[in-house]
Amino acid sequence: MLQYSFMQNAVLVSVFISILCPSIGIFLVLRRYSMIGDTLSHASLAGVTLGLLAGQNPILGAFVFTSICGALIEFLRNYFKKYTDLILTIVLSLSVGTAITIISSGKLKANADSFLFGSILTVTQFDMIMVLVLSIISVLTLIILYHQMLYIAYDEEAARVAGVRVKLINYVFSILVASAISVSIRIVGVLVLSSMIALPVATALQLGKGFRVTLIFSIVFSMVDIMTGLFVSYYLNVAPGGFTALVSVAVLVVVLVGKTVQARLRARRAA
Amino acid sequence: MNTSGFYLQIQLICVYNMNDNREKQICQVRMSCICIYFFSGQWAERVYTMITAKDLSFSYTGSPPYVLRGLNLMIKEGEYVSVVGENGCGKSTLMRLILKFLKPTSGSIATKAARVGYVPQKSDYSNAGFPITVYEALDSYRRLLKIRDKSVIEAGLQQVGMQAFAGALMGTLSGGQGQKILIARALMGAPDLLILDEPSTGVDIQSQQEIYGFLKGINQNNGITIVSVEHNLDAAVSNSTLIYHLTDGRGHLCSPKKYAQEFLGGKSGQGGVGNAAI
Ligand SMILES: Nc1ncnc2c1ncn2[C@@H]1O[C@H](COP(=O)(O)OP(=O)(O)OP(=O)(O)O)[C@@H](O)[C@H]1O
Ligand SMILES: [Mg+2]
Repeated sequence: MLQYSFMQNAVLVSVFISILCPSIGIFLVLRRYSMIGDTLSHASLAGVTLGLLAGQNPILGAFVFTSICGALIEFLRNYFKKYTDLILTIVLSLSVGTAITIISSGKLKANADSFLFGSILTVTQFDMIMVLVLSIISVLTLIILYHQMLYIAYDEEAARVAGVRVKLINYVFSILVASAISVSIRIVGVLVLSSMIALPVATALQLGKGFRVTLIFSIVFSMVDIMTGLFVSYYLNVAPGGFTALVSVAVLVVVLVGKTVQARLRARRAA
Repeated sequence: MNTSGFYLQIQLICVYNMNDNREKQICQVRMSCICIYFFSGQWAERVYTMITAKDLSFSYTGSPPYVLRGLNLMIKEGEYVSVVGENGCGKSTLMRLILKFLKPTSGSIATKAARVGYVPQKSDYSNAGFPITVYEALDSYRRLLKIRDKSVIEAGLQQVGMQAFAGALMGTLSGGQGQKILIARALMGAPDLLILDEPSTGVDIQSQQEIYGFLKGINQNNGITIVSVEHNLDAAVSNSTLIYHLTDGRGHLCSPKKYAQEFLGGKSGQGGVGNAAI
């Protein structure tokens, strides 16, 4: 099956997804922002439809529109300090409204459905270039801003005392989220994207380790989820997004059960 | 300084009324001496002042009620100031203004510090579930301060006697242990101003004594200016060089001795750690 070039593309993109999504997701989850992932993945659907409408690459459209929405969320946060969920509802309305209006108008020549559920077959050459460029830039930015972002998530006041430009980095971060989402929508699909961002992190958090180890395990779990989802969906001939989400829930359950069993065993040994 | 300015004026009048040249010369020399004294006074005030607040007012909403109302404050370098006052009187707010987390509604506040260390109030800091080890918390902070030398982490842990906990998760430390790590972190990169918000709340007596002894030490030996919010009045009186009493949006500085006489009924608080509290 790897002899097919579409499958090779899909595997390569999946590797990037499984690095990017949890690396961004860990900061979202720890800042209690994981719903931003959900909102922005809906924004990316609006971006896809806008891109298709304008005759541009849909992933490019998704990246631009999602970045704008991410920056908008960051900007509105100054006005609705205690009601961040309200901001998400505003941006969600804007995005879903745009997407539904465009799709239902029948003006799109291409099909936007594959972006909802995810698809292996549709990764084009230009998509591949977009994914590579976005991924490499994002990973480099993550490496450079690792300590700053860690501290903004962990202890924002301490970050400010240490001279971190919190506002600026928050804007950069929202573009990173947009980038991770745009890279992922082709294969994973809009509907389950937020599970790719949150679930591997949720699983890794169960291990109760430090930040670096948690991040590494999130990437490992994410890789397991996506690769299993990809190959099984190929054989079952179903959309990869859905199956990946199922696998990620299964992995979380296995880890939770394993943790409980281990705790019981330890208690019995101690008794 | 006012008096020196006054003398300067008198001397000026004298010089122009003098006939004798020699006397004129002597007078001019004296005058320049006074000038030097006059300007060095101003210079000294600028150089040796760590924190200055002028007519500082602050409200969280931008309109009344004001937490701080026309507060004036000057803290010199090398002081150890304990800030005391009732719950909700605005102590933490004043600290956040010094740290520039908040902007004054009117008036101004400035510090001269090139590097500030900050230990937050514990109840403000509830990120216990965060997956981060003690070492990571200190190491990333080191990176933020752009300190190359990794040994500052080990040295910092040693300073507060927490070397054994480098690998522990921050969330699993006890209140006092966590506080020690936060103090070690705040001291990283040799700050010239250290701001602490209730450093001893929830800390056992033994650790309190360690923490205060430690703070007093770095204040006296390293000349670090310390501003510490305190509910523990005995500790405030026996450790700090000045007490800042905040009430009704303003405050006044006084010596610990005077404060003890006025508010603690003459108790000197020599024990270091006691139970007197606001
Ligand atoms: N983020 C905020 N928004 C609005 N009001 C606030 C905020 N933080 C504090 N306040 C109000 O400002 C006043 C001063 O609060 P502050 O935290 O400075 O008190 P404090 O002196 O530190 O009290 P404590 O001893 O309990 O720590 C209080 O009346 C409080 O209700
Ligand atoms: Mg307070």
